[in-house]
Amino acid sequence: MPFIVAFLFAYIAWLALTAGSKGLLWSTEELVAGLIFAATIGYATRDIVGEDSTRFLNPVKWLLGIVYAPVLFWGMVKANFDVAYRVITGRIRPGIVRVPVDLENDAQYTIMSNSITLTPGTLTIDACPDEKALYVHWINIPEGLESPGSSEPVAGPFEKWARRLGR
Amino acid sequence: MGLIVRTIARTTIPLIGIFGAYIVSHGHLTPGGGFQGGATIAGAGILFLIAFGLGEMKKHYSKSLYSALEGIGGLAFLGVAMLGIGTAFFYNTLWHSGPVLNGKPGTLLSAGFLPIMNLAVGLKVFTGLVSALAAIALWRRWKE
Repeated sequence: MPFIVAFLFAYIAWLALTAGSKGLLWSTEELVAGLIFAATIGYATRDIVGEDSTRFLNPVKWLLGIVYAPVLFWGMVKANFDVAYRVITGRIRPGIVRVPVDLENDAQYTIMSNSITLTPGTLTIDACPDEKALYVHWINIPEGLESPGSSEPVAGPFEKWARRLGR
Repeated sequence: MGLIVRTIARTTIPLIGIFGAYIVSHGHLTPGGGFQGGATIAGAGILFLIAFGLGEMKKHYSKSLYSALEGIGGLAFLGVAMLGIGTAFFYNTLWHSGPVLNGKPGTLLSAGFLPIMNLAVGLKVFTGLVSALAAIALWRRWKE
């Protein structure tokens, strides 16, 4: 039922947009109008969100996402300081590396690639699911890691998280 | 486009759609209105066209449906403008003595015929822009 996924997603976005129409809550007319508009959007986009999107209705996944947020934020803080260090000192060794990953579906590839791109110093250029690899531009390739055997030196714990979140 | 763009488009198209609907339906309360919200929703359609390509767009886009919806948008605008024709064209009779849409100013169901007009303009702009971009994308070749 991809309609339900698109509908719920749109309705939650509507509630976030119209919060505060009655004190801190929602007035009845906003709630009803939101139902109508979210149902329209959900019906129109039910083919776009895709048949297998229903797995994201699982509340365990939302909890995992909340737990993942500080992990990603801490990775971003560390990597930003690392890039600031490289800007000041100029010690860079840039290049594009092929990172083999063990992921199965589109959502996992997307979470993984976006996490890599959000942590400065690494930038995903292409995701190739058919050869199970990402191409990543790396600002400072350590000696001997020109073709890494796993994603651990490039992305830290992100592959494990992406596999868990997008399953 | 690539896999990442397509996956992100799957999640953002409903989000852009509901945000555009919010802009259209709150045109009498917040900045925005029919044209702005309609152009926002048309942005979702164009994102679909670019992310998934012309082949998918051909499957989901129906020329007669979009053409009809654009006409309905224009007719709805004209229809509510004619409601108060007993007094004057564009006379906001829904606000002065109408059964609906005459709530307290600042609430959603206020301002007379303005929300209906915003919805009509939003529908017209959305279908018109998407149709125009689909027609441009369907243009056969660069040169003869």
